[in-house]
Amino acid sequence: MSSDSDQAFAIRASRGDVEAFRMLVHEHSGLVYRVALRILGSEDAQDASQEVWIRVWRNMKNFRGESAFSTWLYRITVNTCLSVRRKESRRGEREYGGEEMPFLPEPRGDDTDPEAAALGAEQREEIQTALGRVRAEHRAALVLRHMEGLSYAEIAQVLEVPDGTAKGWVSRGRAAMLLALAEENHGRHEIGGTGG
Amino acid sequence: MMPAGEHRWKILERIGSYAAGELEGEEAREVEQLIFERPEYRLLAESYAKMLVILATLGSEPVEAPEAVVGYVIRRAYISAFMRSAEAFIGALGRSYIDAFVYYLGLRRESYGGGT
Repeated sequence: MSSDSDQAFAIRASRGDVEAFRMLVHEHSGLVYRVALRILGSEDAQDASQEVWIRVWRNMKNFRGESAFSTWLYRITVNTCLSVRRKESRRGEREYGGEEMPFLPEPRGDDTDPEAAALGAEQREEIQTALGRVRAEHRAALVLRHMEGLSYAEIAQVLEVPDGTAKGWVSRGRAAMLLALAEENHGRHEIGGTGG
Repeated sequence: MMPAGEHRWKILERIGSYAAGELEGEEAREVEQLIFERPEYRLLAESYAKMLVILATLGSEPVEAPEAVVGYVIRRAYISAFMRSAEAFIGALGRSYIDAFVYYLGLRRESYGGGT
């Protein structure tokens, strides 16, 4: 579905057309579930996805087509996921107390291609666990940038923050993610710091 | 002076930005110099690059939402649309009955386009 037809279906759905809404759900349910999965993990992703679509339908009448439907959908998805994680304690970041800089070991065995190595179940689990250790807002920004491929301007629109903040969140998310991954791999690096 | 932990974090973020290809000009050259001088920073940059490739690879994999999610939200939308229509219909019907009742009791005089 092109973004033009997205907009057309969204406008029809905003007037109460359930059939147009059904088309949007079929087209974008993967996007919503994928983002929820990355931000929340598999345990909460299904419930969060349902909640996202309920919110979309409820707020559909407010969609005026001023921004792309996908941006609007990303915004509702991320907000829903963040509200699920609102109670999550804020982790201390922006300081690294480790003595050595973190690094990831070479892939095990003969497999030196990171893309191929990424397909391993164990590595997927490591990634998901490490993602779960990054502060929710930074995780959301990281997912949007490096897994969804959004530009900083788009991320800023989705997260409703200035461009600079979006950039900062991605940068912190990236660093925290690497630390968490290194810790997963070595079990000897720590995210140090004083609350924040 | 910046505390050591904060300084290390700053370097961590800058090398991350470099690995993501987000630094240009002078900033990029400064980080390249750091990477050239310190093997641990080179290792860090390589780790970032590996991580970013893995994230992009995972991000590009198609993910299907469970059928239960799709079915549930569409069902709910149809039910809510039906309820909205039913509410509007019952509301209109109720108003017509009240109008008829008011007319029957003679509480309001019917006027037909400009009559007295």
